[in-house]
Amino acid sequence: MSLFAKCLKFTTVALATATICAFGASVPQHIDIKPYQKVENVVVPLPNEVFGALNKLGSVNWHEYVRTNKGPNFPDRSRIALLLGTVIADGFIAVQAEDAPAVKDIGQRVQTLARAIGVERSITQHAKAITEAADKRKWESVRQELDRTQNSVQQAMNEVHDEKLSQLVSLGGWLRGTEVLTAVVAKRYSQEGAELLHQPDLLAYFQTRLKGMPEFNVPIIREINEALVQVRPMIDVGSARISAESVKKINEITTRLDYGIVTRE
Amino acid sequence: MGSRIFPRTIWFLAALLALRVSGIASVDDAQSFALQAAEPYIKEGFQVREDYWGGDLAAGEKKAVRQQLFKGNEYWFWLGTEVERAKVSVHVYDSEGKLAEQPDGWEKGHFAAAHVIPKATGSYFIIVAIEESPEERTHWALVYGFR
Repeated sequence: MSLFAKCLKFTTVALATATICAFGASVPQHIDIKPYQKVENVVVPLPNEVFGALNKLGSVNWHEYVRTNKGPNFPDRSRIALLLGTVIADGFIAVQAEDAPAVKDIGQRVQTLARAIGVERSITQHAKAITEAADKRKWESVRQELDRTQNSVQQAMNEVHDEKLSQLVSLGGWLRGTEVLTAVVAKRYSQEGAELLHQPDLLAYFQTRLKGMPEFNVPIIREINEALVQVRPMIDVGSARISAESVKKINEITTRLDYGIVTRE
Repeated sequence: MGSRIFPRTIWFLAALLALRVSGIASVDDAQSFALQAAEPYIKEGFQVREDYWGGDLAAGEKKAVRQQLFKGNEYWFWLGTEVERAKVSVHVYDSEGKLAEQPDGWEKGHFAAAHVIPKATGSYFIIVAIEESPEERTHWALVYGFR
């Protein structure tokens, strides 16, 4: 290496270090978050964010949780939105299980539900891409297309000012994700697994949103509202651990709600 | 007279066009820059969410996005704006207000990124800021990825 190249390398490293140091030094290590606690919106995670974290705690037999039953169609749009969220979450579970036939069935089901709610056009290309990627067992692409499907459905709803339906899609997905998370953790309890349930702000967010939906006066939404009140103290535990008993109880509650979303007329 | 009207018309049209271009710029443009910042990380196995969060802020203003993060996952947040002469920043704090990011976050003009490996599952605050900008209001968009 020439002297010039050595000097250049040294200068580059020194400059980079100085930049990082300057960056680190200027960032406050602690801030007062009180002004930000009024932030109403919480970013709702995708079901596969929690599934990914769960996978890192030990192997999960995802096949056990794959579900492809067609289920009924509902005339009520709020019920379809909840179901749609649940079915998209089922899609993520099928991807975890790498179950191509299930993924394809779910893709078709999503399309049917999207048609029923009037947003089919937004997802036609994604449904096709899901089938193609599942055939080729390109799981990363399937995951991405499921995410795009949910995003497109919600965007289409938001564009026609159906934000509340969009929130119900998120809620349906969260409930199904929580049902499976608690089922996995209840089977082999660990403190780390139970900690994944520590989502009090998300729960509060859903409670607030449901309060703003008096027009959706259907029994399942009332039931979800009541159930969230029951679940909250079990997961809003601060730095304490979430007990095995709580995990089991939350699983019972979310399983009951999921049954109501998927089957009840 | 005709020769005087012509340049005036051109100037008027140019001004109108400039106004329209600046008016057309939107959060969607900011999003494409945020995604541009995210691109190299996809190769490293990060799944970038389709959804994004955005708005507009004046220089010196901050905005918080509250987000549920899971211990065990690794996250990157990317912030972008279409205003190329703007400087932006993004930082992540836990629910106690303690800086929760790794030291390898970066700021490069109208792009910034923060890296988080959560020590606990819970709510985090993503603080986005327009540090400097020649515009009165600057669009911003935040995307994130996880693995």
